Formats: sequence, C-alpha cells, structure tokens
Amino acid sequence: MTQKVLVVDDARVVRISLGRILKKLGFEIIEAENGKEAYEAMNAHPDIALVMLDWNMPVMNGYEFLVAMREQERFSENPRVIMVTTETGMPSMLKALAAGADEYIMKPFDESLVCDKLDIVGIAYNRE
Amino acid sequence: MKPADFAFLRDFLRKESGQFIEENKIYLLKSRLEPLARRHSLEGLEALVAQVKARPRDTLARQVVEAMTTNETLFFRDKYPFDALSTVIFPELMQGMSPNGKIRIWSAACSRGQETYSIAMTAIQSVPSAERHIRILGTDIADAVLAYAEEGIYTQMEVQRGMPVKQLVRYFEQHEGTNWRIREELRTMISFRMANLIAADLAVGLRMHGPFDIVFCRNVMIYFDVEDRKKVIDKIAQTMNVGGYLITGTGELVKGEHSQWDTQRFEGRPIWKLKSK
Ligand SMILES: C[S@@+](CC[C@H](N)C(=O)[O-])C[C@H]1O[C@@H](n2cnc3c(N)ncnc32)[C@H](O)[C@@H]1O
Ligand SMILES: [Mg+2]
Repeated sequence: MTQKVLVVDDARVVRISLGRILKKLGFEIIEAENGKEAYEAMNAHPDIALVMLDWNMPVMNGYEFLVAMREQERFSENPRVIMVTTETGMPSMLKALAAGADEYIMKPFDESLVCDKLDIVGIAYNRE
Repeated sequence: MKPADFAFLRDFLRKESGQFIEENKIYLLKSRLEPLARRHSLEGLEALVAQVKARPRDTLARQVVEAMTTNETLFFRDKYPFDALSTVIFPELMQGMSPNGKIRIWSAACSRGQETYSIAMTAIQSVPSAERHIRILGTDIADAVLAYAEEGIYTQMEVQRGMPVKQLVRYFEQHEGTNWRIREELRTMISFRMANLIAADLAVGLRMHGPFDIVFCRNVMIYFDVEDRKKVIDKIAQTMNVGGYLITGTGELVKGEHSQWDTQRFEGRPIWKLKSK
C-alpha cells in the first residue's frame, strides 16, 4: 500500500523538489500551501503517514498547524511530522519538538538527508 | 599515466596506507593527485611521482597518501552498531564493573570524528556515570580529518546526516554562522591521535590507550586487499581484551589469519567477539 505524504510549503519550488524526492521513494504526494490547507488536507485524508512541514507561511504557519493538529486526539502521534524549514535556531527546534514534531530538517535538503530522517522516524521507503 | 608511474604509486600507497588501487581506478589517482601537484607547482603526475620517489619520507609523500583517502562519514552510520552498543555490548561489559572500572573503546579510522562522537553519545545515554567509565580513542591516518574531529565543529549538513534532532539539541551548541559545536561533556571522554592501521607496530603505539574492550573499524578495510585485511584484524586482536567486541563495516568481513573470533549476529549483521589471544 502506498503511503501518503503531505508536503506543506508556501514555495512552489520546494513543494516540487521535495515532492519529486518523495515520489521517487514510493510515496503518494498531497500538497498544501499553508497551515490552513494542511489542516483541511489532514481531515480529508486522515491516513496521511507523514507531514513535511515548512514553518514560515502566510495564513497559518507550520507551527500553528502542528499545534492545532496534535490537539486532535486521532493525530496526537500519527502522522509523523518532519519540519523542513529555514528556521535554524536551537530555540525553534526545541519549540517544534515540544509541539509534537518528530524530526527537523534545516533547508537546504537533498535526497540522502530526507532518507536519513525517514529512517529516524521509522517510515519505510523504497531503497534503490 | 605512464605504466611505471602507476606501478610506483600503486605499490607506494599499498605500503604506506594499505590502499589498494586497481588499474581501473587510475582516474582516482588523477582526480585526487593532480590538484596536489598543481599546489606544489609541479607539472603533472610524472613530476609528482619523481618527487615522492626521491623523498618518500617528505611532507609531499604524506600528502599523497592523505589526498588518496576517502573521508566520507556520518553520525550514527548504519545505526545498528550503536544499537548493539546500547542493548548488548555495554550492558554485558558493565556487569560486575568496579566503581572505577573502565570500558576502553577505539574508533579506528574515525575520519572527521562522527563515529567517535556517536559512540560517546550512545555511551552517555546507556551507561550510568559514563564520564567515569568510558574512554574513547579516535584515530586516523590523515592529519586534516583528525584536526577537524578534535575541533568538533560541524556544518549544518553534517549535523543532520544520520543524526536525530534530539541528539543535536542535546549534545551540540550553535557555533559561528550555521555551524554546530559538540559539547564539552562529550569531549572529555575522547582523545584523538594519528595511527596507521598498516604499520607493523600499530599495537605498540596504542598500548597506553588500551587494551580495548570495543573496536570500531569500519569502512576503511574496503580499500585494502584481503591479505592486508587479515593482517589488520590480527593486529587489532593484539590491542584487545579477550571477550571484547569488534565491529567492522558490513562489506569488509574477514576473520584474520588466526580464528580468534566468534561471530555473533545483531539484527542480522555480524559482530565479532575475541575468544582468545
Ligand atoms: C570512509 S572513512 C570511514 C570513517 C568511519 N569509520 C565510518 O565508518 O564512517 C575512511 C577513513 O579511513 C582512513 N584511513 C585510510 N587508510 C588508513 C590507514 N591505513 N590507517 C588508518 N586510517 C586510514 C581515511 O583517512 C578515512 O578517514
Ligand atoms: Mg516558507
């Protein structure tokens, strides 16, 4: 069964490059441009296994989305959440972890880094 | 490249570092040594070879060896060795440990130190009073990577490869720019020094740091031929306590000339236990 990944970023180029990597690794991609869209996507597809989540976005940012999603009982542990952000300060990391993020990628990323983090959060993918 | 120059470099490297270059890897010699030749204002590999021949003990000769090493590494590489440490090896070695007892660990061919620090993080998390019981030695043949390891400052990409963010926030602090620096509590149980696995007197040179209970020798013997691998494994055995563990890379298994080793499996991967000396 193909697992669904929600890619949330206001930058189209990031959604495309991350989507391309994840598609190659065997995932089905759902996109959202901000936290509000992501929230709606989660409720439309509650079986999403993983969220790749930008922090800074208009309308609703990634952190606000994370807090709101984890408040829902059924999303309190799954999906797994990997922040993918230009916020590179230790305080941001601690804040995201406390809100229920599982991993953290400081942009820029590449395929090996994405794979490393998938391994760490325990999400299986197609290895070459 | 002239066949004689290739033959010289192949033999020189094999003798100095164990690195075995086959003929189909001539491009590697070119891509790694031509920049070195240029930096020394030498015209091409021929001139470089002539210099090394004339002065095989000079800095340039050492730089040739160093330029040919592959230093790629990452934190918690392959994961299972560190899980083996925390779930099997440390608990076993800690049994009956006296209050000042030590577990001595050698990270042979440590490159920029990621392996060494990953061992230290694992120790802190799974051994009570680790700073009292754990001593870790990181060695490599290449000076540049040792200096890097010693400094313990890593780039943003390096601290993310293989490493959970929880370890990053716990064991590192932000340094200048986008760099991260390993915390002091980890450094105190570690020392770094030069050691050449191919050297005949390897065991003698390490005596003051051993005998070791655990040796990591990973992703370096792949560059050696089978004969040299066996010799290295036998020399490592000389530096270890009976009952100690050796973890190699998955593709570089050899038991050594003497069958001193028991194989154990951890998550399907072999780890070695020294049964006699
Ligand atoms: C690919 S790195 C492996 C680092 C780490 N052990 C790991 O598994 O990620 C190989 C290292 O072996 C070192 N090396 C090569 N020949 C060596 C020798 N004869 N003695 C000691 N170190 C050597 C290189 O300088 C390089 O840093
Ligand atoms: Mg953004």
